[in-house]
Amino acid sequence: MKNKSMADRRSRDTAICAVVFLLPVLLLMAIFLFYPIVQTFINSFTQWNGISADKVFNGWSNWNKLVHDPKFWQAFLNNVKIMVLSLVIQMPIGILLATFLDTGGRKFNLYKIVWFLPLLMSSVAVGYLFRYFLATKDGIFTGLSKLFGGGAVDLLGNQKTALYAVILVICWQFIPFYMVYYMAGYSSISEDLYEAAAIDGATRSQYIRSIALPMLVPTIKSAIIMSVVGSLKYFDLVYVMTNGGPGTSTELMATYMYKNSFVTYNMGYGSAIAAGMFILITAIAALIMKVLNRGGDD
Amino acid sequence: MVHNKKKVKIGWIIAVIVATFWLLVAFVPFMFMVLTGFKEKLEVIMGGALAFPKGFYLENYKTIITDVKFWVYFRNSVIVLLLSLLFLLLFSAFAAYPLSRFKFKGRNFIYMLVVASMSIPIHVTMIPVFQLAIKTHLYDTIWVLIPVAVAFALPISVFILTGFMEGIPRELEEAADIDGCGRYRRFFEVILPLSTPGLSTLAIYNGVNIWNEFIFAFTLTQSDGNRTLPLALWNYQGQYSSNTAMIMACLTLSVLPMIIMFAILQDKLVKGMMAGAVKG
Amino acid sequence: MNKKVISLTLAALLAGSMAVAAQAGETLDFWEQGTDEPDKSLWSYAPDQFNANDAEEYGFEINTVGTVNDQYKQKLAVAMSSGECPDMYTHWSGGPMIEYIKSGYAQDITDLVKEAGLDQLYTEASLAQATYDGKIYAVPVLNNSVAVFFYDKQLWADKGYEVPETIDDLEALCDKMKADGITPFALANQPAWTGSMYYMYLVARYGGPDIVSKAYDGTGSFVNDATKYAGDKIEEWVDKGYFPDGVNSLSPDNGDDRALLYTGEAGMMLHGSWQVGSIKQENPDFYKNLGCFAFPKLEGSEADQSVVVGTLGDNFISFNCTGDALKAAFKMATYYSTPEWLQMAIDAGKLPPLKAASSEEPAWQDILKILNDASAVQLWWDQYLPSSVADVHKSSSQLLFDKSETPENVAQMQQDAMDEYLAQNK
Repeated sequence: MKNKSMADRRSRDTAICAVVFLLPVLLLMAIFLFYPIVQTFINSFTQWNGISADKVFNGWSNWNKLVHDPKFWQAFLNNVKIMVLSLVIQMPIGILLATFLDTGGRKFNLYKIVWFLPLLMSSVAVGYLFRYFLATKDGIFTGLSKLFGGGAVDLLGNQKTALYAVILVICWQFIPFYMVYYMAGYSSISEDLYEAAAIDGATRSQYIRSIALPMLVPTIKSAIIMSVVGSLKYFDLVYVMTNGGPGTSTELMATYMYKNSFVTYNMGYGSAIAAGMFILITAIAALIMKVLNRGGDD
Repeated sequence: MVHNKKKVKIGWIIAVIVATFWLLVAFVPFMFMVLTGFKEKLEVIMGGALAFPKGFYLENYKTIITDVKFWVYFRNSVIVLLLSLLFLLLFSAFAAYPLSRFKFKGRNFIYMLVVASMSIPIHVTMIPVFQLAIKTHLYDTIWVLIPVAVAFALPISVFILTGFMEGIPRELEEAADIDGCGRYRRFFEVILPLSTPGLSTLAIYNGVNIWNEFIFAFTLTQSDGNRTLPLALWNYQGQYSSNTAMIMACLTLSVLPMIIMFAILQDKLVKGMMAGAVKG
Repeated sequence: MNKKVISLTLAALLAGSMAVAAQAGETLDFWEQGTDEPDKSLWSYAPDQFNANDAEEYGFEINTVGTVNDQYKQKLAVAMSSGECPDMYTHWSGGPMIEYIKSGYAQDITDLVKEAGLDQLYTEASLAQATYDGKIYAVPVLNNSVAVFFYDKQLWADKGYEVPETIDDLEALCDKMKADGITPFALANQPAWTGSMYYMYLVARYGGPDIVSKAYDGTGSFVNDATKYAGDKIEEWVDKGYFPDGVNSLSPDNGDDRALLYTGEAGMMLHGSWQVGSIKQENPDFYKNLGCFAFPKLEGSEADQSVVVGTLGDNFISFNCTGDALKAAFKMATYYSTPEWLQMAIDAGKLPPLKAASSEEPAWQDILKILNDASAVQLWWDQYLPSSVADVHKSSSQLLFDKSETPENVAQMQQDAMDEYLAQNK
């Protein structure tokens, strides 16, 4: 009896303590994130140009349109392509770079700083410069193609390749983030473990394979979640480099929403796109988390 | 054994070669950004970005450095960055602590809320945030940018840090518990120091984002005295044409403080951090 | 050096805090787009004059906020939706202006315009663009901008090229250029409105300017012979290699198209006449040989062949204030029609939509001649059409340049967007 009430008190203390610690975050998120997303859901049931005072409620008509809008689903598919390729390209390279730096130590500080540069550059500069690297005339790929006797290569102006060209640039820009993230993951693995392994006669690469990488798994899991969410709501470089073109071949959910909300004065429908995005991304993220965690329990 | 060592050495040499190749991949675009700043406007249009400057034209950099406005923007950016980072790191650590180490009702719900907030597209918040800024009379001040920067970086930061704190061995905290430390003291004396690599990652990643943040700085400020660095580009961008060389010079100058910040913080990501913290 | 920077920073801080202090009084906010020279000085002229001469009399100060192009519309929309629309703001007329008017953020200024005699100063066409439902809602500021072909007179003289009169002539000339290893058209079509100029002209030459206005009011359609002709022609020209490689990825913001013209890699460039100002500023040597000619005529067509595509004013000011504030704001706007300002604009290579505007610059004289010979100006489609249709017009017409859609489908896509708009705005 006494024990139980102590346990109760303890768990109440825990709850109070948790609330105290969580309060600032919940407050800020409520104001800046939850409130706007609720507003967005409300607006998605209106016909509104986004500027006038009168909003007309029009029931499910925006949602109905969204579900049947091939442009939206094409944009979603483009986001999925970004998601898959980001995972396939960014994760392994990020891990490789981090492993190299973790093994090489301070000698390679310069490498670390230079490798980090892409993330520092603003999207304006990245978009501008890569337009030249990918250019049909005198671009890198045209140069390579000519070296092997091919013709000019138009990557950004071609609907079939534009999205992949942009994805390449996105990966280039974000690999450093995952590199740093995995480095942080490595750094929390105690050096004692390596020393112990070394005494047992393990080489560095054996240590990495059988001790370090498995310990990195939780880090990899959260990196996957971040990459998925980031890819599905991606906006920046596409807006700067192609603005959805040529045609609608690089249109993403976020650029499509932006155009509807602020360019063509269709805020009601733009809100429906945003709300739809929110639902899709959260659902996919939750699903992936579930799958990943199940894998971990086995 | 000897044979094995040789193999390791060859493997390492290959790794260094590949690493050096990646060095070029990361560096070349950056280099051209810096170099384009040393060109004249017409030279950029005629020759594109991927040419070496004909003569090192210093006027772009000079013009920007001697422009008072640039330094006002710079000062604003520094203030916003430092204050935002301070609150961001503190609040995310606060939130990550109970999420990663306590068992309480609603924990999973709150954690899911954090993940869900990561998927909120930033543009939907524009109008509500603008209205809030007007109501609180913070519109067109740099102060409004701080809570905004903190709030939008929170979900991903809490997410990262929660994952990180989960990895801190329980024994360390339990040892402190035996010493009679309460939860609050344990947080500040044990958990926070042990989270340094995670916090550094956050500082680096969010620092870059806050420094380059454009859309809210653009929407929520209007006078020259309250703008931040990403808006400095406007002075060289017109309705009918833009001065790319100037823009690149401006971007180069804005990135320098970030490189310095990274050079300092990256040291915190080096192995051994953890051991040192525990022993100390 | 360091000290200087610090003291200058302090001075700027002081100036900043003083600006805040001034806002406490009666201040009118004016959002404009002059961020870069020469636009910056042109835009700040009128507020400066007003603040120096009339501020006391009217009891208002004008506070200008310069914002760059790209996200300006978004910022304006956010401010408007929060009921914080500035007292005065610039826009490009057309579809967005109608949204602003319908939402109550633009005042009817018909009487003020007449009282001040501005209707005598501005060209009729420019005022017509500022008019909606028979009332004037905006004051035109900059520019006459019509799409014309630009070329290098020196290069053409050397090669023996002649200005084409008809589309057949144009094609013959293009073939000659191809034979000389020159790409005929300097087009950078990444943002799609640039390539749209070819489409609009070909439609207008075949079917006249009514095609688009009839589609807009619902009595006609985009699906017709004229759009078919235009689409077919562009695809034919793509096949013949008249456009540069990677045309849909070249960007006019980087000056990719002008660069082709400057280097002589391309023979001519169809572009808005604001290019005169840009070229004059960035490449004075080339500017000496800059020539212009009108889009050639289509022989055998019944449509009026003198129509030009463009606008007779591409920046307008609308007012979101009433009473004395409106009077003061309007007074400020009248400074954009003084002879002194006109001269400044002309010196900067621009041509405001004022009747008195004339220019000694040879390039402008060519353009003025084209304008005077024109029976009508066909407004840029992306300015004239509702925003949602304009967006589809741009993204679909871009598909002609890589031949990924047929002309029929492109026309149909535009018609579908138009139908949807008309259904929503009955």
